[in-house]
Amino acid sequence: MNALGIIFSDIYDWNMSELASHRSVAAIPFGGRYRLVDFTLSNMVNSGLNKMCIITKSNYRSLMEHVGSGKDWDLSRKKGGILIFPPYALGDNHGLFQGRLDALKRVLDYISSSKEKYVVLSDCDMIYNINYKDVIKFHEEKNAEITAVYTKTNIDRESSIHKILYTVNEYKRANDILVYPITEGEHNVGLNTWVINKDFLVILIYDAIAHNLKDFSYDVLAANVKTMKIYGYEYDGYYAHIDSLKSYYDNSMELLCMNKLNSLFYAKTGPIYTKIKDSPPTKYGNNADIKSSLIASGCTIEGSVYNSIIFRGVEIGKNSVVKNSILMQHTTIGENTHLDSIITDTYALVKNDRVLLGYSSCPFFIKKYSII
Amino acid sequence: MISTKKECVVMLLAGGQGSRLGSLTSKIAKPSVPFGGKYRIIDFTLSNCVNSNLDTVGVLTQYQPLILNSYIGDGKPWDLDRLNGGIAILPPYQRVDDSEWYSGTANAIYQNIDFIDRHNPEYVLVLSGDHIYKMDYSYMINYHKEKEADCTISVIDVPIIEASRFGILSSDDEGKIIDFEEKPAKPKSTHASMGIYVFTWEKLKKYLDIDYKDEKSSNDFGKDVIPLMLNSGEKVYSYEFKGYWKDVGTIDSLWQANMDLLGDDGFELSGDWVIYSRHIEKPPHYIGANATVKNSIVAEGAVILGTVENSIIFSGVKVNENAVIRDSVIMADVIIGENAVVNYSIIDELCKIGSSLKVGNPKNNSDITVIPRESTLINK
Repeated sequence: MNALGIIFSDIYDWNMSELASHRSVAAIPFGGRYRLVDFTLSNMVNSGLNKMCIITKSNYRSLMEHVGSGKDWDLSRKKGGILIFPPYALGDNHGLFQGRLDALKRVLDYISSSKEKYVVLSDCDMIYNINYKDVIKFHEEKNAEITAVYTKTNIDRESSIHKILYTVNEYKRANDILVYPITEGEHNVGLNTWVINKDFLVILIYDAIAHNLKDFSYDVLAANVKTMKIYGYEYDGYYAHIDSLKSYYDNSMELLCMNKLNSLFYAKTGPIYTKIKDSPPTKYGNNADIKSSLIASGCTIEGSVYNSIIFRGVEIGKNSVVKNSILMQHTTIGENTHLDSIITDTYALVKNDRVLLGYSSCPFFIKKYSII
Repeated sequence: MISTKKECVVMLLAGGQGSRLGSLTSKIAKPSVPFGGKYRIIDFTLSNCVNSNLDTVGVLTQYQPLILNSYIGDGKPWDLDRLNGGIAILPPYQRVDDSEWYSGTANAIYQNIDFIDRHNPEYVLVLSGDHIYKMDYSYMINYHKEKEADCTISVIDVPIIEASRFGILSSDDEGKIIDFEEKPAKPKSTHASMGIYVFTWEKLKKYLDIDYKDEKSSNDFGKDVIPLMLNSGEKVYSYEFKGYWKDVGTIDSLWQANMDLLGDDGFELSGDWVIYSRHIEKPPHYIGANATVKNSIVAEGAVILGTVENSIIFSGVKVNENAVIRDSVIMADVIIGENAVVNYSIIDELCKIGSSLKVGNPKNNSDITVIPRESTLINK
């Protein structure tokens, strides 16, 4: 596969404060045993890419620990493989990067020394299954300079301000690009994934250095929509955009519906890979009562779980009821405890006899290491 | 090339057919029989090795090695893909003057003397790949060193009625073995050999050679080499192991060992002594709106829409609506049709059980039903 992958771990973490307060967006746990970066990494690996990097900004410890050498994604390779770029100073470019273009400037050497013809740029906040080969084929057919992946969907005003919308003509060429607009209704919503000719990307980065441009969406896409050959590739499968705690909760709960679950995890693009943890299978006690739930390995469940997502290594005590909730890794729930519409971050402990209630439109979030 | 010296090399006997497991081992060697939702039997010994800081393991294979070989691969899942040492698969091989199969456990080691010598060890730990247990071998090796023994045999207390199934040892107050009988009709003690031996390599090499030259020998550790060492006056000690240990050589014991994973007083898979295994990428398991899951173990990728009680469900199993599974072991990627009822059975990998079918009889009034790998059962 003649393409280099560049993954941005956290371009949009400003509105994810709870989930991303101590980790990058890429490392947010999702779907019982994954982290958001797994979906992008798996797309790339399943599409045959074998050289890629992750550009991180801050709080990247848990991401580095998760990705490690990359061997769990078959990315610990002699040729290619995966690199993580934490922020570093380059000449007078100190401090954290201020936007995607600024970030790319700092890995210019990595990009320009790569032999691949194309670059796939992707964020981690979009969950979907795609084969980039199809996008690159489209990109070649259109002789495009930049191809953006989009999906046609309905959005509301609350979420539109975190999205890039594309208007395309009958040949799929973009003729208008709206960046973080306030709007609603059916739109071509960008999936924060682009295919770019590598040489063209290098020119864009030189230009960004010369003109002090920082933001890819405004300064490249929107500003040049009339002159550059920017095309839109339409994707129409499962898609989830994690841009707030609410959307995190809603998209997680959607997985409890069998056909959503199948379209994410059993798609023909291939499996979703994640870090292997060697946890034993989950053990259910004599009084366990489980309905409509997605449960990862390594859990010990003595109580009742309804309509919930349970991550690896969770313990739920006797006579406890967990409803409409998401319990992240190593959450411990005592006995006689009742939870409804709760999200617990990792290693939370809810002791015996507690009652915690959120509401489905406003789930209650419990921070990492909290003791209730 | 000279390998780095290792204090102890592990030789893991994994070539046995395991004929008492019937159809479960018709295509695969006993150590690669699936166990406990996501493991294969050999994972327990391999994990024990790694957790005991033993990083040089020779796996002796002979019978149906295909699945075992590909399962072990480069040893990466057990962290045995090492620069020095690591895992080596050792099948019988052709030589200039003669070529033979492994004729017995001792002969398998004899034929691989060169492998062991490459690492120039002080000690050799001989293990079987068909036991379920967690054991820190380093304590046993230290014991062997303290006693300045030539051979140390790990023993476990078994009920007197079961003792005649095992090799039974009698030892003095110091732990020195004075008597050893393989499967005695009238056992003198309840100390059963676990088939785990630490040998001082120099001594073992000597006795392997004597044993090989003895045409009457069956080249077996329990039957020949250990009695030979005892009769020659070598220092053979017993090392007492306390904890869960199960030989899963029969259908009944395999079923029972799986069931021991349920409840609180059997064998615990979780904990710091991690059991490693080769991983197949699967999402978390899903339990449907009308499902019931009680007193069971469920692995990744399973989809449970029916009822599961007192059972072990492996990865990728699908239990459809209104199907009922009781007291059973359902191995990977089995599909159970709607309204099917499975009682007291072991269903091997990749089977399809048609809807409304009945498999097995309720526990207490029958034997365990075993459905061979890749069977498709449908209602006529």
